Amino acid sequence: MNHTSESPYPLARHSHSMSPDTRHLLWSVAPGVAWIVIFLVLPSLYLIGVAFMTNGPYGQPQMPLSLDAFRQLAGFGFLGWSPGNLYTLLRSLWQTLVATGLVILVAYPLAYYISTCRDKLRPIMLLAVVVPSWTNQVIRAFGWMNLLSPGTPLADAAQALGLIGPNMGLYPSNFAVTLGLIYNFLPFMVLPLYAAFEKLDMALVEAARDLYASPVRAFWHAVFPQTLSGLLAGTVLVSIPAFGMYVIPELLGGGKAMMLGNLVANQFSGGSNWPLGAAGALIMLVATFGGLYAMRKVGKRLGGGEEVVI
Amino acid sequence: MKRGAFQRGLSLFWWLMLAFLYLPLAVIVFYSFNSANSAAYFAGFSLRWYERLLNNDQLLDALSNSLTLGIASSIIALIVGTLIGYGMYRHRSRKLGWLIVLIYLPIVMPDIVFGISDMAFFITLDREFGILGPSLMTMIIAHVTFQIPFVALIVYSRFVGLDPTLFEAAKDLYASPFQRARHFLLPTLKPSLIAAFFLSFTLSIDDFVISFFTAGPENATLPIYIWGAIRRGVSPEINAIATLMIGAVVIAAVFSLLFNRRGHAGS
Amino acid sequence: MPRRTITTPVALLLGTLALSGSALAQDDNKLYLFNWTEYMDPDIIQAFEDKYDVEVVQSYYNSLPEMTAKLNAGGDSQYDVIFPSNYYVPRLIHSGLVQKLDKSEIPNLGNVMEQFADPAYDPGAEYSVPYQWGISGIVYDTDTFPDAPKSWSLLFDPDVNPDQPFALMGDGQVTMGGACAYLGKGYDCTNPDDWKAAAKLVLDTKHRDTFSGFTDGTPVLQQIQRGVVRAGVSYNGDYLQQKEQNPEAFKHIAFMIPEEGTEMWVDTMMIPAKAPHPKLAHEFINFILDAKIGAQLSNYIYYASPNKAAQPDLDTVLTEPPVLPSDEDQGHLKFTPSLEGQNLQLFQQLWTEVQSR
Repeated sequence: MNHTSESPYPLARHSHSMSPDTRHLLWSVAPGVAWIVIFLVLPSLYLIGVAFMTNGPYGQPQMPLSLDAFRQLAGFGFLGWSPGNLYTLLRSLWQTLVATGLVILVAYPLAYYISTCRDKLRPIMLLAVVVPSWTNQVIRAFGWMNLLSPGTPLADAAQALGLIGPNMGLYPSNFAVTLGLIYNFLPFMVLPLYAAFEKLDMALVEAARDLYASPVRAFWHAVFPQTLSGLLAGTVLVSIPAFGMYVIPELLGGGKAMMLGNLVANQFSGGSNWPLGAAGALIMLVATFGGLYAMRKVGKRLGGGEEVVI
Repeated sequence: MKRGAFQRGLSLFWWLMLAFLYLPLAVIVFYSFNSANSAAYFAGFSLRWYERLLNNDQLLDALSNSLTLGIASSIIALIVGTLIGYGMYRHRSRKLGWLIVLIYLPIVMPDIVFGISDMAFFITLDREFGILGPSLMTMIIAHVTFQIPFVALIVYSRFVGLDPTLFEAAKDLYASPFQRARHFLLPTLKPSLIAAFFLSFTLSIDDFVISFFTAGPENATLPIYIWGAIRRGVSPEINAIATLMIGAVVIAAVFSLLFNRRGHAGS
Repeated sequence: MPRRTITTPVALLLGTLALSGSALAQDDNKLYLFNWTEYMDPDIIQAFEDKYDVEVVQSYYNSLPEMTAKLNAGGDSQYDVIFPSNYYVPRLIHSGLVQKLDKSEIPNLGNVMEQFADPAYDPGAEYSVPYQWGISGIVYDTDTFPDAPKSWSLLFDPDVNPDQPFALMGDGQVTMGGACAYLGKGYDCTNPDDWKAAAKLVLDTKHRDTFSGFTDGTPVLQQIQRGVVRAGVSYNGDYLQQKEQNPEAFKHIAFMIPEEGTEMWVDTMMIPAKAPHPKLAHEFINFILDAKIGAQLSNYIYYASPNKAAQPDLDTVLTEPPVLPSDEDQGHLKFTPSLEGQNLQLFQQLWTEVQSR
């Protein structure tokens, strides 16, 4: 979607004179723009402001402005330095990395397989992949709680294999959180990858098969570059929400696998330290927009100027 | 030969992943018919949890809250979003980069930051000015905010797919802009408006995090109720209500498949 | 074109907002309770509704931090009666989230037992009226632990419980208190060094493979029934209530008061500062303090009643352990300390540290 390009339809362009045109633009987009600005941009700016305030005795943000919240986030408090929050931060990064990597490994063959199936089957297959994600994420996490608790076949099997101690379940654990993340985000990777595979230039692939001796090299040189834009889009769609995940670590982690989203939420519910929570949220925003920016750069370089749009 | 094995391997992998995707849902459905309060063994078929649903006032309230929230927010988002989509199309020759960024903002913003920003904002407004305390209204406002972009993008892409000469023809045909909107724009847009409404509604029903942080005391939606029940120590009724929600999704999926089929056959 | 297409939606939009706004205007015939889960007899609610011709709307919380967060998040103007425990009472008073009671509106105040009439957490009982009192203790599966010691070691010592899943309480003050007690510093420790030692113990415990999570007192009873955990921390009354409802499942689940000491708590009724219906809230508090209603309440939720006048009508099960513990056990009970200011912030930092590592 390249919105700034010349309109391909000349008719639609010269029919308006400038001034009423601008007015028309303003009128049509104004309500929505105002809505998003008032109810999302302003609140976010307010939250960023809170990150620079001082924590009151009962968790309300107070003047004066300070960097206390960031100091606390880095682990400096009454106790001297302690790395709890940094653990949380690193755990979030690690979980995001592992989950995104595994989702790619699973989604890649899946998307390819769908693209090789008969025309009639493909929409049904795609739908089959997507439908679970239409259910509520609380329900999905609950399903895994049922599957992984002690006494279920999966937990018994893991016990028999010696992966977990006797009497234990597979949840709550870091493993359950990773699994939950993969489950949650798999469709977000399959769809863009499938779109890429569908557009695959088979002539190029055939040529590569003749050109390169090994199928691995043929894949690497002919197929992989063509799916890169899909891969990038999928990575954005998976990693950004995974980094900010709240529900899955809360339900499947049991306090052992806290992520940044939980740290932030806890400060607003119970822990009551708004500035600290806001500082965590600011980190998340920076990561989100930094990640988007980086992906765009990479996408532009690798995709030959083709923009990766979510 | 080798390729055949490769394809067979892929096919096996596909079925395995399908099992992975549906197992957690199947377990919920399965145990919703369990006569015992257990997720570890099946004691016999029973509908007792479904019967308990019907007598659970809180749960029925949650259902009605979810529906009110979904419908009210989708209607507002449909109006506001359609206007943006139209404006974006009519003025696509301009540099609208700022608008695109703004429209993508609600989509890329992490849920938790979205919900907490709004919560902090509404609470502060309530404390300082006595307006917009957490309530159904604040939830509607927040939901509309994340629905607008989807409506706008759907409507925009529908316009882009149209033959632009149609606009000229419509302009010649209908004198007033109002007539044009009524006889040309609305009928043309109808399928996308319906799609946008249902997407908005689905997004609203699906949302947990943003609702959770913007809800007032009386506004528990179904996902919030289920969350609370899980935190309280699961009652098996949760399996039953979750099964009904899964059923609704599956029905929606079948409909979307039929709808698309017919659409393809028609075009 | 622009003007007309805009005005309609704007009008619609404003109309919708106005509608939802008016729907929100608080109804005078409603009483909003914010209570612990499973902590009220529905028949009492019905009786109150009938007597005063009002509708009672109940919302629930699982822990005091959750309750406080909701109050901070605008709940102080949305609920009429809340039920905080003793150690949160001073905090709520000092942060201005609750209002002074008008004692003239509560004639039944005389029914309150003497030991609860002028409590340390609310001198003069200016802000709070006791609702129920109880004990936090250890619940465990007697099949898996036939010889369980009367001790926190069931949770904190890996030699006593090497291979069975267990949970600790989600409320940090109770869990840290338990750890303090186990370390011999007393359940009600507040010394920063003791806290640090307790935090370290909780952290080590949390990192054991068999630790299954921080679970609050009511849900852990479900988990233990389902075999998800074999030991955890819960409340005597919740334990008893569920046991009476489901005697078969609770045959092998026991409630124990550790000898190192544990929590005795008093849950109170308080009125938020900006409660929408303070008059009705006073009526409700008075209603609960009625002798008959007080007995009915305790008989239903299985907690000990601080209501002197209700004692004759209490079921026998409420006059014996675990509701009324033996004299020896009573000696092990302590109030959870109320934290404020620097102390509170220090505690919260420690607890966040425990949760995140």
